[in-house]
Order: sequence, then C-alpha cells, then structure tokens
Amino acid sequence: MANTDGTHVNHDGNLGVSALQAGLAPCLACGTLHKWPTDASCRRCGGVVRSRKRFSLQRTWAFLFVGILAYIPANILPIMDTRSFLGNTSDTILTGVAALLADGSYFVAIIVFVASVCIPVIKFVVIGGLALSLQFHWAMSESTRQRLHVITEFIGRWSMIDVFVVAVLAALIQLGAVIKVVPGPGINWFAVSVVFTMLSATSLDARLIWDGRSDGA
Amino acid sequence: MPAGTQARCERCEHVVFTNKAHSIDRALAASLAGIVLLIVSLWLPFLALSRSGFESQISVLDAVSALWLSDMRWLAIFSLGFIVLLPLVRLSFIAWVLWQLRLDKPARPAMRWAFRWAEFLEPWAMAEIFMVGVVVSLVKISSIAALTVGLAFWSLLALIAVTTLVSVVLCRDTVWQRLTNSSPTAVQPMAGQ
Repeated sequence: MANTDGTHVNHDGNLGVSALQAGLAPCLACGTLHKWPTDASCRRCGGVVRSRKRFSLQRTWAFLFVGILAYIPANILPIMDTRSFLGNTSDTILTGVAALLADGSYFVAIIVFVASVCIPVIKFVVIGGLALSLQFHWAMSESTRQRLHVITEFIGRWSMIDVFVVAVLAALIQLGAVIKVVPGPGINWFAVSVVFTMLSATSLDARLIWDGRSDGA
Repeated sequence: MPAGTQARCERCEHVVFTNKAHSIDRALAASLAGIVLLIVSLWLPFLALSRSGFESQISVLDAVSALWLSDMRWLAIFSLGFIVLLPLVRLSFIAWVLWQLRLDKPARPAMRWAFRWAEFLEPWAMAEIFMVGVVVSLVKISSIAALTVGLAFWSLLALIAVTTLVSVVLCRDTVWQRLTNSSPTAVQPMAGQ
C-alpha cells in the first residue's frame, strides 16, 4: 500500500525505498543499477538506462490507436479467399470461426475466437484502461493494475495464430482447379494490429503504476 | 543467494532474482538442440495433403512463400522472421554466450550485446504460435482432404518443448553476473554458496 510520501510498506510493515527515491535507475535490459539521472548507457551490457521509460504514455497511446484502427479493416475485409470449382467464398475472421463451428470443431473454433477476437479486444480495453488510469490518476489497486499489465504483455503474441493459419492454408491448399486458397487483405491489417498492440504493451512502463503520477520524471 | 532459490518483489510478488542450479549447462544443451531441430525442420517435409488425385506437399518455408506469392511481401518477411529467423538468432545468441561462459572465456562486450538482444527478441520469436496455427489449419482441412504430417512437424513440436526448456532453466541473473566478471579466472559468483 502506498503512503502519502510515495514510500511503500511491505508485508512485514518495513518501509521500502524505490530506486527512484534512492537516486538509482536500472538498465532496462540487464537490471544493473546506475546513479540517476544519467546520460550514459548501461556500463555492463550497453542497454538503455531509464528511471521511467521516456514518453511512455504517449507511445502507448500512439501504438494502441494504430492497433485499434487496423483492427477495423482486419475484421471487415476477407482474410482468405477459397476458390474451387464450386465457386468462390471469402472468409473474414468471424465467418472463419463460424465455419469451424458449423463443422463441429468447437474446440478449435474457441481457440481461434479467443486468439483473434477476445485477446485483441481485451488488450485494447486493458491497455487503454491502464493508460487512462495513469493519465488521469484514477484510484485503482496497484497490484491489480500490475497483474493486468503482466497479462497483456504475455498474451498479445498469441493473436498471431490466425495469420499463420492463413499462411499454411494458402501454401497447402493449391490443388489446381479443384480448390485453391488465397490470402485476403484483412490478414495484413490483422498482423499490423497485433504487432502494434504488442508495441503498445511494451511501451507502457509498469513502474508508472507505482508512482501514483504520470509524468514519470 | 543459495542455488535453487529465488527472491520476489515485495510490492507485486514478481520474481526479481533467481539462482537456478546447473543453469548454464542445461540451457546450453537445450539451445543447441533447438538450433539443430529448427534447421533440420526447414529441409524435412512438413505437411502433405491429397484429394481426388491431386497432391500437395509443403515445407515450413512454403508457408512463408505463399504469402510472398500472393503479393503480401511485408507479411511474408515478418512471418519468416517470427517463425524462423528470430527463433534461430535468439537460440544462436544464447548458445554462443553460454558456450563461451562454459569454456571460462573472458566476458566480452559482444557477448553482453548478444545476450541483451536474445532477451529483447523473446516475445517476437513465435515458433510455438506458428505451430498452434498449423494445428488449427489441420483441423480446418481435415474435412476436405486427407492429410499427412511429416518429420518437420514433429521436430518443430520438439523445438517448442526445447525452447520452453531454455526459458525455464536459463538463469539470466547468473549469466549477467558471469558476463560482468571480465577475468577468465574469476570465481563463479554463485559457486559454493
């Protein structure tokens, strides 16, 4: 729990001191502590030394907006065209899930739905919510926010499943005139959305959560 | 800190420091195995499909070139990176750094640079996500055609297990401490504690 002077009390009731209060900052790559402020890069590994990531919230917002915007065409445009002698069909992300459901592949349908719809939307909401709470100093439990942040960093990459599904299907289903699968433009936008949301999650500096203020210093 | 123990953050209970036993040996073995599995799986048959006299067989790289041939050049390049290049680069960096440490070579800036990049690349190496995508594709196809999975499929599955093993047994704190001591005769910081 945070005291008014910004120090923290641990489980034993002892006062803890943050690195920033101690005039220290870690290397973001290897964790070596340095005197802060400093202009130098890490003396051990050459990585970036920051007390708080620079422009953390601005970057988070910028990447998040690109991620959300790209998610719109990703869902509207087809991700896959199936051309067969029976005719052509176009699948978007959602009709792809519906096709799996119609086949009775419920488990796989759930995997694809979670990876392509639930995870991106949850990430937009969670990263947006964390960034808003930091921007406007909302009162929220620090440990809850910390856990949300760890989860967003961990799950984001799993959204790429649908991109790889389309790549494999397009490579494998090339049976001449019988049936042929061609990737659609939606999958490009989807990949852009996933990558930028991942960048957004890594831009958000978790230490801001514990500052109780957003300017970082 | 005794071997086999860890320290946690008092605020959020995130693990901040570990001292895993036999970390360098185990992680080196696992990362070398991973490199072999990844390279081998590029040349072995991956998936094959047949229906009404037509057959098609692909390797892992064909999945990437299918995107390239559909004029999705950027997506093809990024997929190649996510699936093949970044996992390979990451495992090679880790194996090289650990190999040098194993031979008690002095820590050099290049080793620190390599290990820093190996850590940075971790979320972008997506071989395991690719394999989940492959399994989903197999389920999608199974209703329209007969499928055979080749050796590359199994070696990529093994690669996922081995890559997971690397991140489980690799003790980054130990490695960074070893990389800090530049003298080859330096005592291993964790030995005997």
